[in-house]
Amino acid sequence: MTVLETKDMECTNYRDLMIEVLYGETAPGAEARLAEHLAACSACREELAAFRRVRVELRSDPLPSLRPARRLRLAAWPPGLVAAAAAVLLALGTGLGWLVQLERRFDQQEARHAQEIAALEAALAGRGAAVDVASTRSGGFERFETLLRESESRQSRHVEESLREFAERTEAQRRYDLARVSAGLAYLDGRTGQHVARTTELMGHVLQVAEKK
Amino acid sequence: MAPHPTSQKQMTAPSDERLVEAFQAGDLAAFDLLLLRWERRIQGTAYRILGVEEEARDVSQEAFLKAFRALRGFKGEARFSSWLYQIALNLCRDRLRRRRGKAFVSLESLEEEGGHPAPDAGPSPYEQAERGALLRRVREALAALPDEQREVIVLKEYEELTFLEIAQILDVPLSTVKTRLYRGLVSLRGRLERQGLRGVAAVAGAAQA
Repeated sequence: MTVLETKDMECTNYRDLMIEVLYGETAPGAEARLAEHLAACSACREELAAFRRVRVELRSDPLPSLRPARRLRLAAWPPGLVAAAAAVLLALGTGLGWLVQLERRFDQQEARHAQEIAALEAALAGRGAAVDVASTRSGGFERFETLLRESESRQSRHVEESLREFAERTEAQRRYDLARVSAGLAYLDGRTGQHVARTTELMGHVLQVAEKK
Repeated sequence: MAPHPTSQKQMTAPSDERLVEAFQAGDLAAFDLLLLRWERRIQGTAYRILGVEEEARDVSQEAFLKAFRALRGFKGEARFSSWLYQIALNLCRDRLRRRRGKAFVSLESLEEEGGHPAPDAGPSPYEQAERGALLRRVREALAALPDEQREVIVLKEYEELTFLEIAQILDVPLSTVKTRLYRGLVSLRGRLERQGLRGVAAVAGAAQA
């Protein structure tokens, strides 16, 4: 065995120690042991210095200001709603705060979706099509829902699992459903623009088919 | 495990364990507090691992939903935060696996079917953030690591967890955590130095020389 190989093996034995020292999680006496080795080994000395530089670089990368996943924070609500919700919360006790928030959110979303549907109907009517708006709408929505379901298959897996798990506990079931709905809606919220565009396109196709007939 | 009194901050910030107990006793608002406390870190971890903000947000959301569903049966054998990190890391791994599978499939299907990109293919992870060459370099180096090494680097460097906490989260021996850290640092060093020392590293390097 050459001198070099012996030295490599020796260095390998100091790896854990080097990592401990690098991150300041050392057992008593560990630093002194490493220092002793480093005094005799330039390769390890160099490596430790390089690791410190790598750490500096890693830490120079700040986290972007991430938007929260959930959009149910009171802080994100319009002031009027916050006041109303606060009143409701006071009336119900804070334990129900979460549910109240979810239900409020649900209502808001529903109203917005209703508006979007109305806007789409208006757009269809504007094109002067001799199409039964109601049937177009339901047809469009079936497609819309299929798309949604495809893109959210993981969400629906959550539902099925939870339905099975919580079947015997109605209250827990209800809470979870609300949470899931809110998550779905938050997700929807993020994608609404995209989906509306897609739905509009789909309705365009339906319209064309109807016109050909 | 008996709940031990937390001498500090008890008035202002109840411990995770207390919040878990409160939730299990029926106080739903306790979950809100847990979410507020951990959401950013979970999302940050997912972001460091996946490199895409939107995916990190989805992972965080899914992780908390899973936690919400399973918390009633949570026994407190591990710390709540460790458990939460575990859930999030598993979700990240699923996504990375799917991403790789998708990338493989799409190569053929894109050519043959006249290119209909998957809805959530989006811009490549590190194209999204144009934050200067230095930062991109760091992220690319991180993204190039094997998943196992990237996980420990992220948990240690950015989440500042102890070796022991990381070992518990990943369910591996302490020595494995250190080995993965060492290997991760070796390949980060190699990659960053190959691209030429710049920025902070260059300054530090020049000072050393």
